[in-house]
Amino acid sequence: MTESILAGADQIFTVATLLTMLLGAIAGIIAAAIPGFTIAMAIILTLPLTFGMPPLQGVATMLAVYVGGYTGGLVSAALLGIPGTPSSVATTFDAFPMARRGEPGRALAIGIWSSFAGALISTVVLIIAAPPLALIAVKLGPWEYFSLIVFAMTIVASVAGKFMLRGLMAGMIGLLIATVGPDPIMGVSRFTFDSYLLGAGLPFLVVLIGIFAVSQLLSEVENADQAKQGEALISGKIVFRPFKVLREILADPVNLIRSSLIGVLVGAVPGAGGSIANLVCYDYAKRGSKTPEKFGTGTPEGIVASESGNSATSGGGLIPMIALGIPGSAVDAILMASLMVHGIGIGPRLIVDHPDLVYGMFMAMAIAAVMVLVICLSSMRLFLGVTKISKSVIVPVVLVLCLIGAFALTQRVADLYLLLGIGIFGYILRKLNYPLAPVVLGVILGPIGESNLRRALMTNEDWTLFFTRPISLILLVLAVLSIAFSIRSRYRQRHVEKTREASS
Amino acid sequence: MTRQASLAARSHDDRAPEGAARGSAAAHIVFNGLLAVLFVFLFVRAGTYPSSMWEPLGAGTFPRLVLGMLVLFNVMILVQETRHFLSASPLPAKACRSWIWRHRLMFGVLLLFALFVFAVPWLGFRWSSLVFLLVAQILLGTRRWKSLLIACVIALAFSFGIEMLFREVFLISLPRGFLD
Repeated sequence: MTESILAGADQIFTVATLLTMLLGAIAGIIAAAIPGFTIAMAIILTLPLTFGMPPLQGVATMLAVYVGGYTGGLVSAALLGIPGTPSSVATTFDAFPMARRGEPGRALAIGIWSSFAGALISTVVLIIAAPPLALIAVKLGPWEYFSLIVFAMTIVASVAGKFMLRGLMAGMIGLLIATVGPDPIMGVSRFTFDSYLLGAGLPFLVVLIGIFAVSQLLSEVENADQAKQGEALISGKIVFRPFKVLREILADPVNLIRSSLIGVLVGAVPGAGGSIANLVCYDYAKRGSKTPEKFGTGTPEGIVASESGNSATSGGGLIPMIALGIPGSAVDAILMASLMVHGIGIGPRLIVDHPDLVYGMFMAMAIAAVMVLVICLSSMRLFLGVTKISKSVIVPVVLVLCLIGAFALTQRVADLYLLLGIGIFGYILRKLNYPLAPVVLGVILGPIGESNLRRALMTNEDWTLFFTRPISLILLVLAVLSIAFSIRSRYRQRHVEKTREASS
Repeated sequence: MTRQASLAARSHDDRAPEGAARGSAAAHIVFNGLLAVLFVFLFVRAGTYPSSMWEPLGAGTFPRLVLGMLVLFNVMILVQETRHFLSASPLPAKACRSWIWRHRLMFGVLLLFALFVFAVPWLGFRWSSLVFLLVAQILLGTRRWKSLLIACVIALAFSFGIEMLFREVFLISLPRGFLD
């Protein structure tokens, strides 16, 4: 093992590898900061550039893009209220309000440190726990996946705030949106009405950008007088004191470590990933907090939970890939493709046949986390400068970037029309106080939930298996407890509000 | 005190926030009513999708499950908001027109964005985004010569500049039109 570690280190600690990793980390941060660009796309674009590199250098560069991407989504989430990637949706809940009340530097600093911690913790867990965790992941059948989705949907109750009925409806709308287009099992076209616009369904990225970004940008210009006076996104002096914030985060290590571990676990489940992890971690942090009512108003705990959780999925996603040869997410599938291009066979024997490569990847993850931390700490003042730019510049420019984000992945002009329509719908939902996160949650989880439900019943028509298989039962019980807890919290909150009103 | 007497006792300023509650309730009733009709239509449509001999659930089962719950939630919200509507103060005169006027800039930006989206396949990304960025910045308050000059630079950078970046560096082609 020592020889393998040294062999891996020998390949990682070269000027060429460290330089390409540094460039990759910068590219990942910038790509994820642009709404719609996504980490997967950034890695896809990096892949051809790595063909001429040695295998470990190529994979290390893409891992740097990967780790950078999970941190980069924080920037637009905090400064614009638009998640740069799906894994930053929960970050907007608290980072944006914190930035809006004049603390954008603090919001970014909390996110940067939390991302760093999440990535490091996931690397440690990856090294220690990859084989046993992978064995659990492989035991998950369609019953367990469906129950996991049911459990994840109960997060809707937590993120819906005081409008629980509207939140549930928003989640269902998300599930409905996901059913448009070809059915995942039979390929039957559903709700397309023979239109070329809807024939391929509603792409998840277009829904994310339209629902969040376009609606947010339109709401920025509601007040004509303020917008025309050259109002910036955030007024007042901007303070960025990252080391003071670090002490603040370390004062509550429980949330940080718990969220990172949840992120690793979720990342280890093939198909789950950062887009689910950030919401699950946020939900757990809220339930475990002494002040859950502060979530959604700009509390540091919410940002810590979301950012450490989503960054931790980077290590978690490598667990099934290294231990079993199964990609944990789309990004891991691209990493596998990169290794295959270099003639390296992926499978359960990867760590046995290429230990230097595997240990080199572990080291690359840790080094990438440190690089991203240094880059972010030294360049965040530049990003914070965005908050001083007038809305008359920011709104049109970000709308153009959103359009590019919606077009770039699929190269379909039809997606631009869908973006417009979904953006208008998202704005209406926003104006009528419908929470938007449940819509995105429904769109992400809907296809996974439906296809696993149908596969489960195709395999065995006995529906009681959902309750008799242990892991599935545990997840369903957790879902019921989750709903009960949310209802109880909501009643308590209403009681407190009524008491306050009566006393005033 | 009767409802009319209660309303008469309130000052004009007092009525404005309560009018807003009625406006919100009315908006919900319209929105959720339309959605309920749409969801019922889709529910019926989903019943026509084929099933398969290899699985107990067909293509339409899951959507019907979701749509059924959506219709239920919509009806619940409609009942809730109708109660709010009936108990809230009446809207002030020309409330709708006033709301639209207050949000005129938002409507302007939305219209401009819509024109931009429809122009992209015709003019291409570069020219349509150049025009959009210039007009949008002017619409949003850019007036002085110095600001206009900066607006032109920004428009060029984020139209032609960004198209070149995506084409040359990322190897992603953005839409081209008849002007390209």
